Amino acid sequence: MPTPMMENTMNLLSRRAALAAPLALAMPAIARAQAAEVVVHYPMPAFFKDVMEKIAEEFQAANPGITVRHLAPSPSYEDAVQQVLRQGVAGGLPDVSFQGLNRLRMLVERRLPVDLAPFLAAEGDLAAKGWTPNLLGLGHAQGTQAGMAFASSNPVVYYNLNLVRRAGGDVENLPTDWNTLLGLAGRIAALGDGNSSMHYRWAGDDWMFSALLYGHGGRMLTEDEREVAFNGAEGRASMVLIDRMVKEGRMPAFTVDAALQAFYAGKMGIFSGTTAYIGSMLRSIGRDVELRTAKMPVIDAEKGRLPTGGNAGVILTREAARHAAAWKYLTFATGPRGQEIMTRGTGYVPCNTVAASDERYLGGFYRENPLYAPAMQQMPIAQPWYAFPGTNGVRITETIVNNIARVVEGNATPDVALAEMATGVRRLLPR
Amino acid sequence: MPEALALSAPRRATAVLGEASAAWFLVAPAGIALFLLLLGPSAALLALSFSDWELGAPTLAWIGFENYAELATDPVFRAALSNTLVYVRVVMPASIGLGLGVALLIESGTRLRAFFRAVYFLPVVSLLVAMATAWQYLLHPTIGPVNKLLAMVGIAPVNWLGSSDWVMVSLCMIGVWENLGFVVVLFLAGLTAIPADLYAAAETDGARSGLDRFRLVTWPLLGPTTLFVVTITAIRCLRVFDTVAALTRGGPNNASEVLLHMMYREGFSYFRIGYSAAITVVFLVIVLALMLVQTRLLDRQVHYG
Repeated sequence: MPTPMMENTMNLLSRRAALAAPLALAMPAIARAQAAEVVVHYPMPAFFKDVMEKIAEEFQAANPGITVRHLAPSPSYEDAVQQVLRQGVAGGLPDVSFQGLNRLRMLVERRLPVDLAPFLAAEGDLAAKGWTPNLLGLGHAQGTQAGMAFASSNPVVYYNLNLVRRAGGDVENLPTDWNTLLGLAGRIAALGDGNSSMHYRWAGDDWMFSALLYGHGGRMLTEDEREVAFNGAEGRASMVLIDRMVKEGRMPAFTVDAALQAFYAGKMGIFSGTTAYIGSMLRSIGRDVELRTAKMPVIDAEKGRLPTGGNAGVILTREAARHAAAWKYLTFATGPRGQEIMTRGTGYVPCNTVAASDERYLGGFYRENPLYAPAMQQMPIAQPWYAFPGTNGVRITETIVNNIARVVEGNATPDVALAEMATGVRRLLPR
Repeated sequence: MPEALALSAPRRATAVLGEASAAWFLVAPAGIALFLLLLGPSAALLALSFSDWELGAPTLAWIGFENYAELATDPVFRAALSNTLVYVRVVMPASIGLGLGVALLIESGTRLRAFFRAVYFLPVVSLLVAMATAWQYLLHPTIGPVNKLLAMVGIAPVNWLGSSDWVMVSLCMIGVWENLGFVVVLFLAGLTAIPADLYAAAETDGARSGLDRFRLVTWPLLGPTTLFVVTITAIRCLRVFDTVAALTRGGPNNASEVLLHMMYREGFSYFRIGYSAAITVVFLVIVLALMLVQTRLLDRQVHYG
C-alpha cells in the first residue's frame, strides 16, 4: 500500500524505474542494497558545493530509498578529468561525475562514459522536459550522448559603472561594438590614479580567444580536423583586436588574478570573462562599486558565435544495476528543479528550457537579477567550446595562450604571433 | 674425539645459517620498506620514462630514448631548465649570504634574540601557498603596496608577476624571503656550537678585530654547518614549485616555467606520464650530480673541529 508521498514520487519516475518498483517492494533488502546509492563526483567546490548539496538533499527527499554520496570534489576541471582517468585504470569510478564540456571528448576517446541515448529514448518527449536538441548537443562528443549539460556559461562583459561615468561613458548605453568599447577603455585609462582600463581574460585557456574567433565567424580547425583553420582572416582579425585592446584600450598585461583583484577593488573599468564570475564578483567586489553586465560586443551580426563553457553530468559506472538510480539522479540535476537550484546558486546559465522560462522556476529570477540576463540572452548564438582531437589538447591550448601573451606584452606583431601559433598547433595535431 | 668433531661441524653450520637468516629476517622490514617506498618507485619512474604511457590509456609502448630526444629539442624544457638554474644561482647565494649575516647579528646581539629568531623563521613555518596569496597582493601592479611605496620615491610601477622581464626577479625575491629564515636558524645552531674559549684564545693570540675573529674562528668552525646549508638550500631551490604554481603557472609565455612545474603540467595537465617521468629523471640526475660535486669539493675543505 503506497503512501500518498510515494505515489507522488512514482509519477516522476521513469517507466523503467516504475517497473522495477514493485520488485523493490517484493525484495526490499536485496533491491535496496543494490539501487540505494548514487556516488557523485563534481569539480570546483567554490562554485558548486552548496548547489550540489541542495540538489542531493531534495533528490533524496523525492526518492526515498536512494541516497547520494559525494566524493571529495576536485578543485578544477583539469583535476576532475585526471581523477576519473586515474580511477578508470585503478578502479573506484563514481556513478555520476560532472566534467568540463570540452573534456568530454577526451573521456569518450578513453571510452569511459556510458552512452545516454538509450536512457533518453525511454524518456519520451524530451523538449517538453526542457532538453532541446541544442542543449543536449552540449553533451555530445564523438557522436555519442556522453553527458547531460548541467551548467553552461558564455563570455560577458563586466563594467564598473563608477569608472564608466567618470570617463564620460553612458551607463545606459554600454558599448555594443568593439570600437566603442576600446574608446571607452582608453578614456578610463586616461583617468590615471592607479585605474586600469580593461582586462580581456585571454590567459588560462583558449576560451576567450575562441570567443573572438567565433565572433568573426571563424573556426579552430577545418571540418576534417586535420588542418589549422584559425590562421585565416577571422583569426587574424581576432589577433589584431587583441593588439588593439593593448594599444587603443590600454589593456595592461595583468595575470587573471591581478585583473580580478583590481576589478574587485574598483580600480578597473571593464572586465571580460565568463558569466560564471558573477557569484564571486558579487561576493568580492567593493561595496561602493556599481556592477553591471552586458552582452559581448557584436563582431559579425550574422556569422558571429560564442563558445559555451560549463560542465555536464556523465554516467561512469559499468554496473547495469546502478544505472537506473544514476540516471534518475542525473535527470533530477538537469531537470527544472535541479537547474533552478544550480542557477540561483551560481552565475551559470540553466541547461533546461523549462527551468529557464517557467514562472514556477526561474521565470521571475531573470527579471529580478538583471546581472544574470546577458548570458541567458546570448544562449541562441552559443556553440560548443571546441575540444582539439588527439592527446595534445591542453598543449595546443598553451601554444595559443603563449602566442597571445607575446602580443599582449608587445613582443610580437599579431601576424607573427598568429603564424607561429599555427605552426605550433599544427605540430601538435594527431598525424 | 672424531665423533665430537663430526657432531659439532653441522651444528656450527646451522648456527651460522641461523644467524644469517636471523639477520635477513631482522633487516627485512626496513629492506622491504626501502624497496617499496624508494627504490621500487624510482625504478618504475625510470621504466616509465622509456614509455609513451598517458594517464588513463589502456596500453603503452616502449619508445626507448624518444622522450629524452624530445626533451633535447623542446623549447619549453630549455626555458624551464634555464629558469631553474637562474633561480638556484640567485636564490642560493643570496639567502645563504644574507642568512649568515642575519645569524651573526642575532647571535652578537644581547636582547630580543628569541624574538628575531621567531620572526625570521616565520616564513618557513607558514604555508607557502597561503603566503603566495599575500605576495600576490603585495606585488599587485596597481593596488599593491610595493608599487605604491615605489611611487612615493618616484619609481614607475612594475608589473611584477605579469611581465616576462620581471617575473623571475619577483619569484627569486620571494624565494630568498622563503629560504632566509631556514638558513638563519641553521647558522644560529652552528654558531652556538662554537666553544667560547676559542674566541678568547684567538683574542690572546692577537685576533683583535671582529673580522679576524670571523675569519679565523667562526668561518672555519661553521664549515660543517655551511656544507649542510649549501646542500639543503640548493635542493630547496631546485625544487621550486609552489610559488610558480600559485602565482604564475609558468607564464607569461613560459617566462617563469621551472622544472618541477613543467613536470607537473606534462604529467597531470597533459597526461603525458612518460614524458613527465623523463623530466623527473633529468631532475634527479641534476640533484644527484650537484650533491656529489658539492660533497666531494667542499668536504675536502671543511674543517671538522
